[in-house]
Amino acid sequence: MVGLAAVLCPRLSSAADSSAGPVDPARLPVPAATTIDFTRDIQPLLSANCEKCHGAEKQKGGLRLDAKSAALKGGDDGKVIVPGKSAESRLIHLVAGLEPDKPMPPKGERLSLEQISRLRAWIDQGAPWPDDGKAVRVRNDHWSLQPVQRPDPPTFVNRKSQIVNPIDAFILSRLVTNGLALSPFAGRAALIRRLSFDLIGLPPSPTEVDAFVADKSAGAYEELIERLLASPRYGERWGRHWLDVARYTESQGFEYDRLRDNAWHYRDYVIRSFNDDKPYDRFMKEQIAGDVLEPLTGEGIVGASLLVCGPWDEAGNGQANVTQRTITREEEMEDMISVVGQTFLGLTINCARCHSHKFDPISQEEYYRVKSVFDGVKHGERPVASMAETRAREQRLAALRKDIAGAQSIVARIESEGWKRAAAQRRPGAKELPGPTPFARWTFDATTNFVMPGKLKGGAKIEDGRLRLAKDGAFYQTAPLPRDIREKTLEAWVAPADLKQGGGAAISIESEDGSVFDAIVFGERQPLKWTAGSGGFERTRDLDAPQETSPPGALIHMAIVYRADNSIAVFRNGVPYGKPYTPASPLQTYQSGSARVLLGMRHTGGGRPFLTGEIKQAALHDRALSKEEIAASFQVSGLAVPQAEILAALNDTERAERDVALAQMKALREVLNGVKPVPMSYVGTRIQPAPTKLLRRGDVTLPGDVVTSGGLAAVFDLEPEFGLAADAPEAQRRLKFAEWLADARNPLPARVMANRVWHLHFGQGLVSTPSDFGVSGARPTHPELLDWLAAKFIESGWSVKTLHRLIVNSATYRQSSAIDDLNRQRRDSRQIANHESEIINEAQRLDADNTLLWRFPPRRLEAEAVRDAVLAVSGRINLEAGGPSFRPFDALKFPANAFMPVDKIGPEFNRRTVYRMNVNSGKEPLLDAFDCPDPSVKTPRRGVTTTPLQALGLMNNSFVQRHAAHLAERALKESENDLPRAIRTAYRLALGRAPTKEESKRALAAAKSRSLTNVCWALLNSTEFVYVR
Amino acid sequence: MSGKHKHASPLIRNAGLRPGVFLNDPRAGSETGAPVSAASAVPLLSRRHFLANTAHGLGGVALAWLLSRDQAHGAAPSSHPPHFAAKAKRVVQIFCCGGVSHLDTFDYKPELERMHGKTLEGKGENLGFFGQPGKVMKSVYEFRQHGRSGAWMSSLLPHVAGCADDLCFIHSMYAKSNNHTPATFQMNSGFTLNGFPSMGAWLSYGLGTENENLPAFVVLPDPRGLIAGGSINWTSGFLPANHQGVPFRTNSREPIVDLNTPADIPSKARIADMNLLASMNREFAEAHPGDGAFAARLRSYELAARMQSSIPEATNLDSESDATKKLYGLDDDSNKGFSRNCLMARRLLERGVRFVQIFNGGSFGSPRINWDGHENLKENHDTQAATMDRPVAALIHDLKQRGMLEDTLFVWATEFGRSPSTQGINSPGRDHHPTAFTCFLAGAGVKKGFHYGASDEVGYFVAENKVTVPDFHATILHLLGIDHEKLTFYHNGINRRLTDVHGKVIEGILA
Repeated sequence: MVGLAAVLCPRLSSAADSSAGPVDPARLPVPAATTIDFTRDIQPLLSANCEKCHGAEKQKGGLRLDAKSAALKGGDDGKVIVPGKSAESRLIHLVAGLEPDKPMPPKGERLSLEQISRLRAWIDQGAPWPDDGKAVRVRNDHWSLQPVQRPDPPTFVNRKSQIVNPIDAFILSRLVTNGLALSPFAGRAALIRRLSFDLIGLPPSPTEVDAFVADKSAGAYEELIERLLASPRYGERWGRHWLDVARYTESQGFEYDRLRDNAWHYRDYVIRSFNDDKPYDRFMKEQIAGDVLEPLTGEGIVGASLLVCGPWDEAGNGQANVTQRTITREEEMEDMISVVGQTFLGLTINCARCHSHKFDPISQEEYYRVKSVFDGVKHGERPVASMAETRAREQRLAALRKDIAGAQSIVARIESEGWKRAAAQRRPGAKELPGPTPFARWTFDATTNFVMPGKLKGGAKIEDGRLRLAKDGAFYQTAPLPRDIREKTLEAWVAPADLKQGGGAAISIESEDGSVFDAIVFGERQPLKWTAGSGGFERTRDLDAPQETSPPGALIHMAIVYRADNSIAVFRNGVPYGKPYTPASPLQTYQSGSARVLLGMRHTGGGRPFLTGEIKQAALHDRALSKEEIAASFQVSGLAVPQAEILAALNDTERAERDVALAQMKALREVLNGVKPVPMSYVGTRIQPAPTKLLRRGDVTLPGDVVTSGGLAAVFDLEPEFGLAADAPEAQRRLKFAEWLADARNPLPARVMANRVWHLHFGQGLVSTPSDFGVSGARPTHPELLDWLAAKFIESGWSVKTLHRLIVNSATYRQSSAIDDLNRQRRDSRQIANHESEIINEAQRLDADNTLLWRFPPRRLEAEAVRDAVLAVSGRINLEAGGPSFRPFDALKFPANAFMPVDKIGPEFNRRTVYRMNVNSGKEPLLDAFDCPDPSVKTPRRGVTTTPLQALGLMNNSFVQRHAAHLAERALKESENDLPRAIRTAYRLALGRAPTKEESKRALAAAKSRSLTNVCWALLNSTEFVYVR
Repeated sequence: MSGKHKHASPLIRNAGLRPGVFLNDPRAGSETGAPVSAASAVPLLSRRHFLANTAHGLGGVALAWLLSRDQAHGAAPSSHPPHFAAKAKRVVQIFCCGGVSHLDTFDYKPELERMHGKTLEGKGENLGFFGQPGKVMKSVYEFRQHGRSGAWMSSLLPHVAGCADDLCFIHSMYAKSNNHTPATFQMNSGFTLNGFPSMGAWLSYGLGTENENLPAFVVLPDPRGLIAGGSINWTSGFLPANHQGVPFRTNSREPIVDLNTPADIPSKARIADMNLLASMNREFAEAHPGDGAFAARLRSYELAARMQSSIPEATNLDSESDATKKLYGLDDDSNKGFSRNCLMARRLLERGVRFVQIFNGGSFGSPRINWDGHENLKENHDTQAATMDRPVAALIHDLKQRGMLEDTLFVWATEFGRSPSTQGINSPGRDHHPTAFTCFLAGAGVKKGFHYGASDEVGYFVAENKVTVPDFHATILHLLGIDHEKLTFYHNGINRRLTDVHGKVIEGILA
């Protein structure tokens, strides 16, 4: 339906100039004679017929009819509603077709006479409109947006024996209607293998199989379920499923693909949450706002990692072009909104970034309202500790640092005195003072600095009073800063070995991982020139300054001043080098306890970071020096006064005072070093964002109105308006959204999660598009069952384990997967003696996709389960849980990372695959061939392919070869080296069953002529091994 | 739901598909494009030729096993019919990483000489990655006209210039991003983000393969190093994994990972093991009739065994004539091994590989190993051109002389161009530049010696016939007989396309 558009375009005639001819009110339908209720009678009419063109998204002709003030104000051509005067209201003229060129709505069905009468009556009655300033909502009729009901399961008279729990009643009801039935139960050996892989992702041991097969007690199956659900392996299995949807990655992707060394905290959080059966509503809330939920816990903080555990374009965020940077950020926000919408709501809110959603009732404005919720979330890492822990720790550290700084200032004051006297002696007649006193100074005749002691690295040497950096890789690195440094001056007396080099720095101050730094850099972007280097060039400018010509070995005095007003000034030999400038990126604070100083290296993790040459002296000032001070400092250039002279210049009192302060510092520093660092995790950082604006067509150069945080109006039973101002605190927005999301009246999360669990048990969902419950997604095959599960889920206190219990207990789940089992049963029960293949054909014809679940669908193991199963059966699996990921690759760092997968050997690499470092740019070929998705792709359902590359992987991959040998070794050991028994053991380990006579015979022959390893290789390659039935 | 077009090609199958049906099928092995037809073909190789090469490498072991089972007979290849008559059957792409300067190669701008040393004004926000543009810099190379078509090209690429009359230049390319990886991702997948299927994966999905014994989509990385983003550039994204690009290690005796039978396993033993495995898998499939995936697994081992021969055969350049080797410059170290990849590409194309992507340049390095001439454009481009020029020209020439250019589409691309002004004051380098650059095509279905579109007087903006990356992709698909709006795959709410919601075929360049 299209609306009033054309008529109200300013280019066209307005009602005032009446070029469309005089309006004859007599031609209008008479007003209805009843009292009109806006909400009941008018709003739905406007909503259905007008809002597509005159609503939140589009306002053709400048007109909006979904909100009171806008509607009464009118469009570009003026008012269309004149309260009390319907005959003069242009809205009525248009819908009644009195302006023949512009019938409204222009397409589709016109309004009926009755509707126009009603509209007239409403206007005549004063056009009353509820005064809350916003549109009245109408429930959308899409299935997934209806409240969750708890339907009664269908009842059966004849088939009660087939029904274990209500799930079976729902399933059977559709089967019976289609002339099908449930298949008989699978055998117990098949069942325990199926259940083990499903719940813990590992095969059962032969002992476990035996015990279960032998246990004929009534509760044996239930006990098995409970044992598996209680296993810590359960969380590893189901956590991995969650990580697929969460697009969990342990590297950034894009250009640099840097590793996220501590992203694993979130992986462990997910595993823990499943193991603890954390209520799913809490689980959702933590992943949206766990870092601001009271009481603040480390657990909650880590939970919020979901928002940022996808890829991040560091280069794009750091580049000079503002428009492109903004686009990069918008892409980042779309990723965040996608993951929230798809994971929890099964809605593709992200499709409304450039225009209102093409299928679902989500307006473009709503996209930006949700964006406003998350606008303060940025990528990055932060400490993981509860508020109380953090506060106590910080107070302690602050006190220690204050004391150290106090003692340091005593040392600095005394040494400064000594310096001045010694320097004055060296330069008799010099009038000015020999320069300012730095926060820390490094000279290399002896260590004079106690603020930030350091270490020589990579072959750096101290010779003849200079730090010699003879080759790439040599540099000097200090201990962490004892206190925060913000405005500052970097200073160095440096002699580059040659002027062809580029990219190295004389002195640099950097964050712990080197991603943030400021440095005196030589020849990086422009040959032969000095610059103020910085992470991502954020504070760097090419300077209009002369090229360096100094001969090798000659000292140059370089200084860069970073002022509180964020201006940066570079000096060479005491005079300005280029003009001072103010970068777009703010002044950096380098944090005590983590940041440090480097001499001879630009920053950790950078390409071409090293300076070759010599450094005679370097200094860090904790303030911005004036140009006079810089000049003075240059004046004393080369006056790297030896420590001995400084000390000699002191009197006894001073020396004693200095010794006491030094001893104090030493003791305090030891205490400080003993304070454990708070673990950091890739949780993202937070800022207070500017008010969010709608971007027309999603274009960053076309900002529209400011929007406030909110939920989706389509979730009818909840208020989408959070009542927050456009500048509401960042935390408030996410807290409100978390509440809105996890409210039990929100029908989507419970349905979506119940369906995910179902999907992962059967390989097919009741809704086959698990992250899309919108109009373009699939419809549920069993809507009542889905609702029944969702209702039970909420009633259970959002217990995921309850869902598992319901599902795996059902007869539906326990069915045989064999097609002929069903046929056999049908033959028996209905006395049909058809040829078997015809019956198979019939079953396949009726429901080839097994949508109705007339058998259990056989499924290929996922990549991780294949690898874990190989490790489990070979006996080499290392079940160490949690912590940093193992890294089965070699990494090349340029500054970008390149990962070369390597089959590394050792217990660490025998951990479960969920603990593998999951990087973007280097895929692991064997896992890849088994459809392990790109970590950056939100993957609610994995592909299942069978390819020659997969076969080659299992055939030749060294991992498989090695574990085939381990399996053989294990089987022999467990069978006291009796070959026939070992074959039986290997079969039981790998396939969960003993070999048939034929198989034994054949395998024995193979083992004898070759080796048991060869038989084990065949077992690990077999279809039966990689499939669950 | 209408997900029951079981044996149709994905093109047809997905056209009217309700979301996500076939992926959900337990027989997904067959449904998602895994090769399960009765047997494979060796269309461009005779069986005798195939056998003649069995001695080469360890692949022979598995082939002997196959032959012992007498299953090495030919049948229809598992390729899918296109939407309409295709001009091209296969594609080879040279991708030059880092951003080749259009101003110093193919887009002659005399105005730059006049403007040299002046400040460029009136172009709006600076588009460079690093900002701080200096003065306008004229091309660091001489330009002159080449061929009968009179194409203006610089002295940087003399061999490519020699092919001028075969090339179809697009001077009005427009990239969405000025940042390497997003721009490269866009060139490869249509999107600036990680995780979208690459063009090769779309082609594999849409057209299948003409030779099941080789991957449909082969990637030949630069011997000097991988491109930034690595495998993200040839991922299948959300398409089934069998469509992803397979990177070849072109200097290794094992061109793809896990191809060779481990050295410590004797041939006879492996043959016997393969027989043992085959009986196990066959019995299992027979015991579970109706599950197509089980039969597909049996078949996948047969194909794997074939690949053990066909890949070493295809990548072995020994049988090439000396003249051919010389043509590509195999005798010349200055191209850093890139010549091998170009020659190998021709062999792969001959054998039915659908899409061969050859990267020229990798990521970063010091000195740089790609075209990212920030610091000193001439120094950088001189070095890169020495690797690229002759082998690329040789490939075009070789395809042509073998008649293969008739139905092979040759694509030369880079992620963006470079700025008319220097990067920084008094610098001899150029910054990234997304709003006008040049790519060229050659071969099947495109005009020869032709120039399409134009940049403005200094090569800053597109002046006429803007070609976006989706337009570029739409055209490539069109030449392969695919309607880019109909090649779709449902993923998380959207029927995804290579061209997103954009793209129109560049009619003007079609022959």
